[in-house]
Amino acid sequence: MKLTTRYEQTSCRLELEGLPDVSAGQGDQSLGILTGFTLALAGHTELEGKREHLQALLQVVMPYARYLLSGVARPFGDEASPVLIAPHDQGHQLMLRSSQPNTEPLTLQLDDAELADLVRCLDLLRNDARVLVPFDLPQLQPLRRREVLNREPLRRRLAAPLVGVAALLLAGVAAWMVPLPKAPPASPAPVATPAKPG
Amino acid sequence: MTQAPEQRPSPLSRRGLERLDLLLLCTEALDLNGGEAMVWLSEEMGYTSLFPNRVELWKRRCYNPLRRTTRRGALVEQETDALIRILNALADRLYPMLRSLLSSAEPPEITEQRWGLFRSRLAELIKERFNLRRGGVQRLLDPVEGRALSRQLVQALAFSAGPGGFERLKASLQDAAA
Repeated sequence: MKLTTRYEQTSCRLELEGLPDVSAGQGDQSLGILTGFTLALAGHTELEGKREHLQALLQVVMPYARYLLSGVARPFGDEASPVLIAPHDQGHQLMLRSSQPNTEPLTLQLDDAELADLVRCLDLLRNDARVLVPFDLPQLQPLRRREVLNREPLRRRLAAPLVGVAALLLAGVAAWMVPLPKAPPASPAPVATPAKPG
Repeated sequence: MTQAPEQRPSPLSRRGLERLDLLLLCTEALDLNGGEAMVWLSEEMGYTSLFPNRVELWKRRCYNPLRRTTRRGALVEQETDALIRILNALADRLYPMLRSLLSSAEPPEITEQRWGLFRSRLAELIKERFNLRRGGVQRLLDPVEGRALSRQLVQALAFSAGPGGFERLKASLQDAAA
């Protein structure tokens, strides 16, 4: 029996089609085998794909949103991956490569709200108890210091130590220019004469 | 014999607590009844044993080092998790508003008006509750830098909403210090 599930947000609609995996003992209403999906993003063509395309989409969009939440905008996916997402022109560029030969990649420009809608749809899918398709997604981790540093512009990162070094140098030069107090001329030390008694 | 729940120290650093309270403050700037909504949600979500009243909830938020009267020490994981879940629910309630702020499809004058209102309310709350001598607070109130930071905060709230928002936000609040 074919099953469909649908997740909708203002600018995004994701629809999954599949079957229960009877060999794994799944119930009638569980979607364990994904046969296909359609993704409609507002103002763009409707996309169709198989399980591996949805997996590739999840694997780049979810970490991209995770990093953005920490204020780090960096691309995910590379030249070889079927889906690539990168910050572009105050928004986000999603590039989808078709598995069909001689087909140009499809590039979609999303604004912040459209990306948030897409992430919400994917979150709904991942948290749907009826969907039992395993999507291999990396565990959410705190960002390491090196990754967080990238969000701070180099100028700001260097500003504090540079000001510190400059202040130290200035203080050093100023201290060097102040004349040293002259030592008082050496004078014989007064010798205490004991008072004679009587 | 019943065992008391384990009181694990929170994995959130002072910086994480700072960001968590700042995001909660943003929800108050977006919704005039945000403070009340927070207390109501805390009760609805069954956190009465952790935060029996609004004062206790308030005290936990005062671990933010940017506060005028900041509390020393650390929270336990149960408390920070509860605060993150409350924020997640608040952001979910406010999602349509967050979306309209982030959307480029809305008329620019209306978007600008909404941002102006949000920024002015946030600035009021910051001036009322935060230590204005701190560099981080001054950056939030800076006309140029504050603009970019408030957009980042609204974007963070949008990604903190919904069914996957809790885990995402919790991981983000544990980021290493820059």
